[in-house]
Amino acid sequence: MIVVEHLSKSYGALAAVSDLSFRVERGQVVGFLGPNGAGKSTTLRILAGFLGASGGRASIAGFDVVEERLDALRQLGYMAETSPLYPEMKVREYLAFRSELKGVPRTKRRADVDRCLELARVSDVAGVLIGHLSKGYRQRVGLADALIHSPPLLILDEPTAGLDPNQIREVRALIASLAENHTILLSTHILSEVEATCSRAVVLAKGRLVAIGSIDELRGRGRPELILTLRGDEAIIRQVLSETAGVGSRVIEPHGEALRATLSLTAEDEAGQAETTERIVHALATATVGIREVRTTKATLEEVFAALTQHEARTENEAEAKR
Amino acid sequence: MRGLWPIFKRELFAHFVTPLAWVAMTAFLLIQGLHFFLIVQHFAGQLDLSADAGPVQTYFGQTMMLYLPLLFVCPILTMRLFAEERRNGTIEPLLTVPIQTAGLVLGKYLAVLVIYATMWLPTLFYMALLGRYGEVDWHIVASGYLAVIAIGSGYLAIGTMTSAMAKSQLTAALTSAMAITGLFMIGVGEFIFPEGLARELAGHVSAWAQMNDFSRGIVDSRRLVFDATIVVLPLFITVRAVDAWRLE
Ligand SMILES: Nc1ncnc2c1ncn2[C@@H]1O[C@H](COP(=O)(O)OP(=O)(O)O)[C@@H](O)[C@H]1O
Ligand SMILES: [Mg+2]
Repeated sequence: MIVVEHLSKSYGALAAVSDLSFRVERGQVVGFLGPNGAGKSTTLRILAGFLGASGGRASIAGFDVVEERLDALRQLGYMAETSPLYPEMKVREYLAFRSELKGVPRTKRRADVDRCLELARVSDVAGVLIGHLSKGYRQRVGLADALIHSPPLLILDEPTAGLDPNQIREVRALIASLAENHTILLSTHILSEVEATCSRAVVLAKGRLVAIGSIDELRGRGRPELILTLRGDEAIIRQVLSETAGVGSRVIEPHGEALRATLSLTAEDEAGQAETTERIVHALATATVGIREVRTTKATLEEVFAALTQHEARTENEAEAKR
Repeated sequence: MRGLWPIFKRELFAHFVTPLAWVAMTAFLLIQGLHFFLIVQHFAGQLDLSADAGPVQTYFGQTMMLYLPLLFVCPILTMRLFAEERRNGTIEPLLTVPIQTAGLVLGKYLAVLVIYATMWLPTLFYMALLGRYGEVDWHIVASGYLAVIAIGSGYLAIGTMTSAMAKSQLTAALTSAMAITGLFMIGVGEFIFPEGLARELAGHVSAWAQMNDFSRGIVDSRRLVFDATIVVLPLFITVRAVDAWRLE
């Protein structure tokens, strides 16, 4: 549904997006994740035909966003960051205006406006001036606008930014209900947002792609740690652990009367990690070390995200320092 | 052209909820009212009116008070068209709908043109008043209004263009006021330049000379062609300027 190939965009000397490639398939709900200033809005604006790219190309439903802009836009419901609206218009007037602008046939317009008012849960303010609405309502009017021409694809730039927790929950529920029959790309700098609403994520930092995949795959990118609580001679334990293959770093420290070993496993996949665990336990038991506890910790998505985006920032800084 | 009609309607509506638009229109009508009053007072003292220099001719052709107000009214009507939308971000939803830029620009332009024409509407009352108490040549009235609309169309197109090029409404208004004044000044060259090409050219672009001709019923199509150029060229540049934002 969305294909982005080697996209880049500079504002003067600042490279906001560099060599970005990713795809969003029909039916997916994808989180576009990255810290502030990562280049999310820039990318989404290029997709919506509002900005031109400095390099690379992008298409929506097979239509190039520059060459076949109007065809691409017919497939797309776009909500800009902070959802700018005309304060002097009433909600229903605004949606009627937008549906006419987007080419909804006159006979369908009224019903479509009603449907979207309902869908975005703004029916109760249909007759209110937009300038008098709260931020949460304005955001939802923006969503109703994105939906008004029944596009198969929605691109939402930070749909929950600036909302209070209740409003966030409402907007998330709304997105979840839309996910049933829309392809959605939504940007956010809040990780829990992606965990709550998306099945996949594209992670961006400093304009570069740092990770892409399903939420579970991303979680898997954090290396699990094996935690052992052991009783026995520390020298023997150290020796056994150092002789076992597949153990990366290890920290051994006293833990009450026993010792606690925190090991990182070098195996890439879960099967390999399980096998390493088995070997370690076997070697320790053979050396008659008392094993009181064996458990693994999965890195949280939070940690993965922090590691991914900080790594990118660090290499950038190092490159800068070298210059 | 897709998008023209909804943009046109919204723009009309937006103008009528803009306080400054009302201030400008009121000021315009006050000036025209005063203008008319002075002319009528002047003619009230004269007994014998020649057909060539009646109050209607004077109103359209012989005083600056008719179109000097255009120098401020046109920039004020047009300044917000694009500059305001860029300032408050609403340009983004506007440029991400499946319509051609030309439809957007024409919709906005035609809206201010209609408002401009509406602004002149009350002055028809003066003509009716004159017709009631004396002879009025309605051909001259028609050609007078034609000139007023033709000249205004160009000024509004220039204002539309500067609104798309300037980042703020104030800059948009100032640059279009300057451009319009510049155009007017070139026309004044008719009275300054010695006989020759420069003087002829100045006479050709002169709004003053055009009003003078049209107020005597002389409708020169070359003048209308010139007016049309001043409409088409700025609007074409406006479309290109709006498209250029996409490439920024
Ligand atoms: N119009 C602009 N002119 C100059 N720099 C810009 C412009 N828009 C964004 N930037 C810069 O580009 C970078 C990426 O911005 P943006 O795409 O808005 O990031 P995000 O949406 O991920 O927070 C930021 O460093 C921002 O300051
Ligand atoms: Mg952003």
